[in-house]
Amino acid sequence: MSNVGQSIPHDSAVGHVTGRALFLDDLPLSSDELHVGFVGSPAACGAIEKIDIDAAKQIVGVVGIYTADDIPGEKCFGIHYRDEPVLAMGEVLYVGQPVVVIAAETKVALERARRAVKIEVRPDEPILSIEEAIEQKRFLGVPRQIRRGNPQQSISAAPHRLSGIFHSGGQEQFYLESQAAIAYPGEDGQLIVHSSTQNTTEIQIVVAEALRLGQHQVVCICKRMGGAFGGKETQAAIPAILAALVAHKTGRAARLIYNKDEDMISTGKRHAYRTQWEVGFDPRGRIVGLRTNLYSNCGATADLSMAVLERSMLHAENAYYIPNIEINGRVCFTNLPPNTAFRGFGGPQGMAAMENVIHAIASHLGLDPLEVQQRNLYGTLERNFTPYGQHFRRNHLPKIVSMLAASSSYTKRREEILVNNAHDPLRLRGIALSPMKFGISFTTKFLNQANALVNLYTDGTVQVSTGATEMGQGVNTKIRQLVADEFGLDWTRVLLMPTSTEKNNNTSPTAASASTDLNGAAAIDACRKIKQRLTKFAALRLASTKLALTESQEHVEFADGWVYDRRRPEQRIKFGELCKLARLERIDLGARGFFATPGIDFNRETGQGTPFFYYTQGAAVAEVEIDRFTGELTVPRVDLLIDIGRSINPGVDRGQVIGGFIQGMGWVTAECLVYNEQGTLLSHSPTTYKIPASTDVPRVFNCAFFDNDDNVENIRRSKAVGEPPLMLAIAVWGAVKQVLSSMNVGSDLRLPATSEEILRCLTLSGFFRVPVPSVNGSANGNIDVPAKNPVEPTST
Amino acid sequence: MRDYLLVFINGRRHLVRGADCWLTLSDFLRGRLGLVGTKIVCSEGDCGSCTVLVGQPAGEHLQYRSIDSCIALMFQLDGRHIVTVEGLGGSEELTPVQQSLVGCHASQCGFCTPGFVMSMTGLLEESRQLDEEDWPQGLTGNLCRCTGYVSIFEAGKQLGDLQVQSLNDRYPPETMLNELAAESQAPFGIETEIYGQPGRLFGPTRLSDALEFLKRNLSAKVVAGATDVGVQINKGIIAPSVVLDLNRIEGLGDAGIEHGADGPTLIAGARATWSQIETICREEVPELARIVSVFGSPQIRHMGTIGGNIINASPIADSLPFLLVMEAELELCSARGKRVVPITDFYLAYKQFDLRPGELLARIRVPLLSATQHLRLYKVSRRRDLDISTFTAAILMQLQDNRVVDIRFALGAVGPTVVRARKTEAFLKGKLFDEATMRAAANIAASEISPVSDVRGAADYRYQLTRNVLMKFYHQQQVSEAHEIIHV
Repeated sequence: MSNVGQSIPHDSAVGHVTGRALFLDDLPLSSDELHVGFVGSPAACGAIEKIDIDAAKQIVGVVGIYTADDIPGEKCFGIHYRDEPVLAMGEVLYVGQPVVVIAAETKVALERARRAVKIEVRPDEPILSIEEAIEQKRFLGVPRQIRRGNPQQSISAAPHRLSGIFHSGGQEQFYLESQAAIAYPGEDGQLIVHSSTQNTTEIQIVVAEALRLGQHQVVCICKRMGGAFGGKETQAAIPAILAALVAHKTGRAARLIYNKDEDMISTGKRHAYRTQWEVGFDPRGRIVGLRTNLYSNCGATADLSMAVLERSMLHAENAYYIPNIEINGRVCFTNLPPNTAFRGFGGPQGMAAMENVIHAIASHLGLDPLEVQQRNLYGTLERNFTPYGQHFRRNHLPKIVSMLAASSSYTKRREEILVNNAHDPLRLRGIALSPMKFGISFTTKFLNQANALVNLYTDGTVQVSTGATEMGQGVNTKIRQLVADEFGLDWTRVLLMPTSTEKNNNTSPTAASASTDLNGAAAIDACRKIKQRLTKFAALRLASTKLALTESQEHVEFADGWVYDRRRPEQRIKFGELCKLARLERIDLGARGFFATPGIDFNRETGQGTPFFYYTQGAAVAEVEIDRFTGELTVPRVDLLIDIGRSINPGVDRGQVIGGFIQGMGWVTAECLVYNEQGTLLSHSPTTYKIPASTDVPRVFNCAFFDNDDNVENIRRSKAVGEPPLMLAIAVWGAVKQVLSSMNVGSDLRLPATSEEILRCLTLSGFFRVPVPSVNGSANGNIDVPAKNPVEPTST
Repeated sequence: MRDYLLVFINGRRHLVRGADCWLTLSDFLRGRLGLVGTKIVCSEGDCGSCTVLVGQPAGEHLQYRSIDSCIALMFQLDGRHIVTVEGLGGSEELTPVQQSLVGCHASQCGFCTPGFVMSMTGLLEESRQLDEEDWPQGLTGNLCRCTGYVSIFEAGKQLGDLQVQSLNDRYPPETMLNELAAESQAPFGIETEIYGQPGRLFGPTRLSDALEFLKRNLSAKVVAGATDVGVQINKGIIAPSVVLDLNRIEGLGDAGIEHGADGPTLIAGARATWSQIETICREEVPELARIVSVFGSPQIRHMGTIGGNIINASPIADSLPFLLVMEAELELCSARGKRVVPITDFYLAYKQFDLRPGELLARIRVPLLSATQHLRLYKVSRRRDLDISTFTAAILMQLQDNRVVDIRFALGAVGPTVVRARKTEAFLKGKLFDEATMRAAANIAASEISPVSDVRGAADYRYQLTRNVLMKFYHQQQVSEAHEIIHV
C-alpha cells in the first residue's frame, strides 16, 4: 500500500502530546554551561556615546561581557547585502538592537548584569513610517519594475478611473518558541551550534565568518523549531552568533534563549506596505490598465526585503489578467528592526492591495465584487500570461471560483445579508470571496536546490537527512512517506534525522513553501540510487534455474516490506534480509541525492521571466458580522477551496490550510503592531499583541481540496501548501470592506480591519461624529480622477 | 509553624524550602525537577503553554483545575497536588486526550501542545458532558499559532466516545488528603534571603494572624491569585521579599448569594475566584456570568480573585464597572477592627484608593438586581477572549412608563479610575427613554471622561465607544422588548 496520500500522524506527534519532544531550552544544561543574554539599544537611532559595563562586571557570577569590538571576524552579516551588525557598532539602528552580550553562571546573575549595563545614546529623530522614508529618499537598492503594454495610456482612455492609497500593516510571526541557540565548543576551535533556525547553512556561514573559522569547523544542528513562519529564516543569526561568540571566547557551552518581549521588540516582522494605485476599467468592471506603486517598510537593514518586495510585485495582480500594467516597487529604510520573511513573503501585501482595487471598482459601479473578480480572472486558453511573461498553465481559478461560489451559496447569502443589514439595529453582516494564486519556487534561482542523505541499515530500516528543517509544517512526515514508498516499506521503518550541516551542506532555507518539493525530490533521488543497486542485486538473488526464473531487473518489485520478482511473487525476500545480504556482498546501502528545479529563471532587471515552477491556487468565501456600535468583528463562516494537487498527507495539508488561514485572518483583522513616537514597540507580548484565539475561529469552517491530478512535474503530483492558504484570509478583509462599502464608507479601510478601524469608518457614515478624528483617512479615499494623475512616478 | 511548603507533584511528595518558595511553579518544574514538558512562552499567563492542573482538596477528592504555571508562585500552591504533562500517561500509553490529538493532526510545531493537553484534561475533570461549543470556550487560555485550532476542537469532540480516566482514579487521593490534612492547620513561615534582601513569607490560616503580620510588616505584598503579581515579578517590575499569602485563610475563599429582606446579595470573600463567581451567578445574574466568562481565560479565572481585581485598582479592571453600578460594599479589616466602604467612594486617583496601612480587603457585598432593573455590561477589546479591555462599561437602568427612574452608568478605561458618569446619570433621570434622549446623554458622557491613546486604542476610539455604548444599550433594549412581546 502506498504511504503517500495517507494521513499518517506528524512524526513528532506523540512527542508533542507527551511533552517528550524536546526544544532547545529543554535540553539539559551541561555542567559548565553559561546563560547568555543581550542588552538592547534604548533608542531607535543615534550615536552610541558610552557603554558602561563596569558595574555589571562586578556582579558575582558574570563570566564575560562583550561588544562588537570583541567579534574577531566579520562584524556584519546579510545574505544579499552585508549590512546587519551582529552587535551595534558606533550607532544604533533600532530599539532593542543588541549592543552588549553577557554570559553568566546563573540566570539571576545574568538578569542583574543586564540591568547594570548602561548604554548612552545621543538619540536622533527616528524615521518610522514609509512616508517619512519616501520623503527623505531612504531607499534600498534600485527601483524595481514589472511592466506590460501601455498602462498610462490605457488608464487615461478608460471609461472609468479610480485611484487611491492602500495601507497594510506588519505582522509578528509569533512563533511560540522564541529565538534560541546553544553553542558547544568542540576540539581545535570547532563549534557545534544548536539553533532554532530555518536555515542551518546560513547559521554555519555567519558563525564561521564572525568567529573567523572555516565553515568546516562549524556544525549547525536543528532538530525542530517551536514554530518559525519565516521569522527564523534569517533572524536566527544574531542569537546563534552571540551564543557561538561566548562559547568561542570562554570555551564553555553557552545558551541564549530570548524571552517573548525581547524577541518581539528586537526581531523583524512582516513588512507594512503603502500601495498607491490607479486603475482604468470598463463599465462592466473589466480592468484595462493598472498602475501600482508598492512601498515596503524595510526596517533598519536589508535582510530579505528586496526579495520580499519582488514577490509582492510578482503577486500584485493576484489572480487577474490585466492587459496593461505597471508595477513599481521600492524598499524604504526605517529605524525599526529589520523586517523579514513571514509566510507569504510579500505575496499577501501585493494580493491584498489588488483585492482592494477590485472592491473599489465594484463599489464604484455598484456591482457584486464577485462579478468583477470573475470578469478579470486569468483565462485558461487566452488571457493567461502574467505581467512578468510567465505562461500561467493549468489555471483552475475560473472553476475553483465558480465551484466555491456555488458550494458556499454565495449569491443567496449575499442577498439575505443585504436585506438583513437594512433591518438589524445591532449588527451588520458582509460576505466576500477572494481568489488566490501563489507562485512556487524561490525567486532567487540558486536557492532552488536540495540534497539528501539516505542510509539503509541491515534490518531494512532507513534514516533520512535533508536540509529541510521541521517547524511543525510536517516536511519530515511527508519525506518519510515519500521514502517509504520508494522502498515499498511501511512508514514506521523510515526516520527523519535532525537537520545538520554535517550531513547536508550548502542547503537552502526551509522557506518558499517548497521544502517538500525540493528536499523530497532530493531524497527520492538518493533512494533511487540505492534502489538501483538493490534491484540489480535482488534480480541476481531471485533468479533461479530451478524455477526457470531468469535474472531480470525489470521484474524486481519492492512492496509491503518484501522484494520479489513479479513473475514469481511468492518467491520473496524480506527487505531487511536483502539489505543484510547486500552488505555481505559489499553493496553500498547509502546514497546522497540532489535536486535542482528545472526550467525556472527570472531577470530582476527586466522584470521578465519564468520565476515559478507552478502555481498553487484557491479561493475563499468569508462572512463577517460587525457590531454597529463598537466595530467588533466576528467571522461566523468561511468556505475554503484550494488546489494543492495530489496531497502527500491530507491530514498534514489540511492543518496547513486551516492554520495558514487563521494566521492570515489575524493579519487582516486583529494583529496590530503599535509603536510609540520613539520607535519602541508597545505591543510586544501576547497581552498587547493579539493573535487569533480559540473563540475567533469561524463556527462554520468548510475546508475542501480541489480535486486535481495535473501537477505532473512535481513529486507525486503534489503542490506546495505552506504559504498559500494564508492569503485566502484576504476574503475576511474583503467582507468587512463590503459592509462598509454598502454604507458608502470605508474606501480608505486599512488592513488590519480592527474594531477601532471599522468603527472609525462607520462613524464617518454619520452615525456619530467624533470631535477630532485621530486617523483622518479622508485624504486617502478613492476618488474618481478625470484629469490628474495622483500616482507619483517612482521609477527612473 | 512550618518552615517548608508541602506540595505533591505527579503523585510525589515534595517539601519546598528556602528561596524555592518564591519561584514560579514553571521554574520549579523545569529548573528543579527537569519536567520540561511544561513550556514557557510569555511568562504572563497569556498563552497557556505552561498550563498544568492543580488539585485542591474538596471533600474526599481532589478537585483539579487548570492554571498557568508561569505566574503561579510556589507558596500559593502549598497543600496542592500538581499534575503536569509528564504525570498523565505511562511511558508507553497515551491518554485519550493525547491519542485524540495525535489522531486528529492537532499538533504541528508542538510547543503549545502540552498546554492544550493539560487544558483539555482539565475541562474533562470539570465536566464529562462537553458539547461542541465547550471546546473553543474552554480553550481560550491556550494560544496556538500553527493549527488554527480546528483540529484541536475535533480532537475534543472525539473524546466524547472515549473512556477517560479521571485524575482521582489515576492518583488515588486518600494518602495525599491524609498528609495534607495533617499539615493544613499549621501556618507556614519561611525566612531566607531573596532578591538580595532578607525575605519573609507568611501563610496563615486565620485572618487574625494575617492582620497581626500585616501590622508588623506594613509593606508586605499581599498575594491571593497572583495573576498580576506573578506577571510583575516575571517582568522585573516588582521583587517582593516580604509576602503575606492569603491562600490558606479560612473563609476568604467562600462566595455565595444570600437572600435577605433587601433582595439577593452576593457575598464574596476577597479570595473567591472568578470561576467560583461565574458559577454562582449563572442563575441569578446571567449578565454578570456572561461577562465574567470573557475575563481572562479559564486558567486565569481559576486563580484570579475578585479581591485582587478590586485592590489592583486598574482603570481597566473588568469587574469594576459592574461593582460600581451595583454599589458594592467593601469590608476592610485591620488588627484594629473593620470598616465598610462603598466601592463608589473607594477609588481616589490612578491606582490610589482608600485602604489604610495594615488593612486588608476581606469581603465584598454586592446587592443584586431587583426585577425592575435592567443591567448590561460591556467589554470591548481587540480580541474577544483573554484580552485586556480597551473599554468597559456597565449600565443599570430602571424604567417606569418608559421613563428613566434610576440610572447608574459606569465606565472603565476612559480615565485614571473607573468612574460613574454622574452628570449623564443626572441628565437621564426622569427623561423619556428614547433615542433622542440617549443621543443627548451620549454627548454628556463624552464630556465626563478623559481617555488617553495607548496600545489598546486611541482616545478618540474611547470617546466614540462611550457615546455608542448608550446607543447600543438603547437599541438592545428595544430588540429584547420586541422579543418579549413576541414571547407573550
